[in-house]
Amino acid sequence: MEATTRNRPSFANVLVKLEPGDKIIAEADAMASMSANVQMKTRWSGGVFKAILKRIFGGESLFVNEFSAPSSAELVLTQSFPGDIEAIDLKGNTLYLQPGAFLACEPGVTLGLGWAGLASFVGGEGLFRLKVQGTGRVWFSAYGGIFSREITDEYIVDTGHLVAYEPTVNLRVGLAGGIFTSFFGGEGLVTKVRGPGRIYMQSRNFSGLTMWMNSHL
Amino acid sequence: MQYEILARPAAAVAKLTLDNRESITCEVGAMIAMSTGLTVETTSGTKGAGGGLLKGLKRMFAGENFFLNHFTANESNQTLIIGPTMLGDIVHHRLTGGSLVIQGSSWLASDSKVTIDATWQGFGRAIFSGEGMFWVKATGAGSVFLNSFGAIYEVNVDGEYIVDTGHIVAFEDTLQFKIVKAGASLIGSFLGGEGLVCKFHGTGKLYCQSHNPPNFGKLLGPKLKPR
Repeated sequence: MEATTRNRPSFANVLVKLEPGDKIIAEADAMASMSANVQMKTRWSGGVFKAILKRIFGGESLFVNEFSAPSSAELVLTQSFPGDIEAIDLKGNTLYLQPGAFLACEPGVTLGLGWAGLASFVGGEGLFRLKVQGTGRVWFSAYGGIFSREITDEYIVDTGHLVAYEPTVNLRVGLAGGIFTSFFGGEGLVTKVRGPGRIYMQSRNFSGLTMWMNSHL
Repeated sequence: MQYEILARPAAAVAKLTLDNRESITCEVGAMIAMSTGLTVETTSGTKGAGGGLLKGLKRMFAGENFFLNHFTANESNQTLIIGPTMLGDIVHHRLTGGSLVIQGSSWLASDSKVTIDATWQGFGRAIFSGEGMFWVKATGAGSVFLNSFGAIYEVNVDGEYIVDTGHIVAFEDTLQFKIVKAGASLIGSFLGGEGLVCKFHGTGKLYCQSHNPPNFGKLLGPKLKPR
């Protein structure tokens, strides 16, 4: 299955070329357009109970759509935010995604829900995180551009900017500086990530946009 | 007229170069910058012809402004830079005698050899297509500029093609579409979030936008404080 991410980073969308036997699973409402011969099957996102948990805690839809085609076809997948999409090829390893970041995956990838801990919650990232594992490609999306970094010891990310990370990475909440800097310097709380492992960050923060807009209403 | 589209796809503008006596009709507020050898005339219909009240009203229903701005060059080599208010993309479409049906707010500009009018696509499509009640119809032989929220991509339809509601920018009138359910079952289509989709058939060019403004609005709306 050939998949190309176009119009990065501002309005990224994925053009998927489906051949007979290919399958891609996408978040509800991710389809922008497709050939008329594409078959779409809607199912619970990993069983009824798991789907409900993922809806409540993982910011994901209750249902996912499975796309396949009996002959060559194309499919365009997108997200609601203006922003970037990243594809990761999983080879049996695991990746944690922030709630709402999942876009699509190949059938060999499973989507689960994991406890992220209080540090993640205080850091503005949610009590739970999505756990993707298996073999195949997974696509996740962000508001703004996505950039990644290999962490060897400790690194600091502002709250609301962490999109995905490997399971070897630990999260801890900390102050950006001293008490004064932390509360008047506009940084407040930050997430301290400890490696080794890779982290993915987004260049913009949606609550930053809504706060700015609210101050102008 | 020559054109160049800059800053695609996030904040696109069209830079037009007009020769003496060439003219272009733009959406109100589209002008960003221009040379001094251009004159602007505001009407509610075609350039030079008075009246056009009905056309102006119809355009309002199509999500466009009541008025239009006509820019005419009085000297050679005049530049005009136009763009939409929102973030997004611009594409150029060349009409060669046929018509292009444009989603309400996606018409940006067209040259003087193109006539624009509002068109009604029927009740079902008006209610379920996720677009406006009226569409803009551009007819003639000349240039049309379209804008969108999101990147614009082109699909050459030969047979059938499906577009999710809210993602149509424009299509040649050799194509028709009807509203159908996205999957095999109606319940599944709605649970899967795709619900109804637009199924095109025929042969012609179709422009889609990668992003869906109402979907982004639904994320933003609940986070804004009441006024």
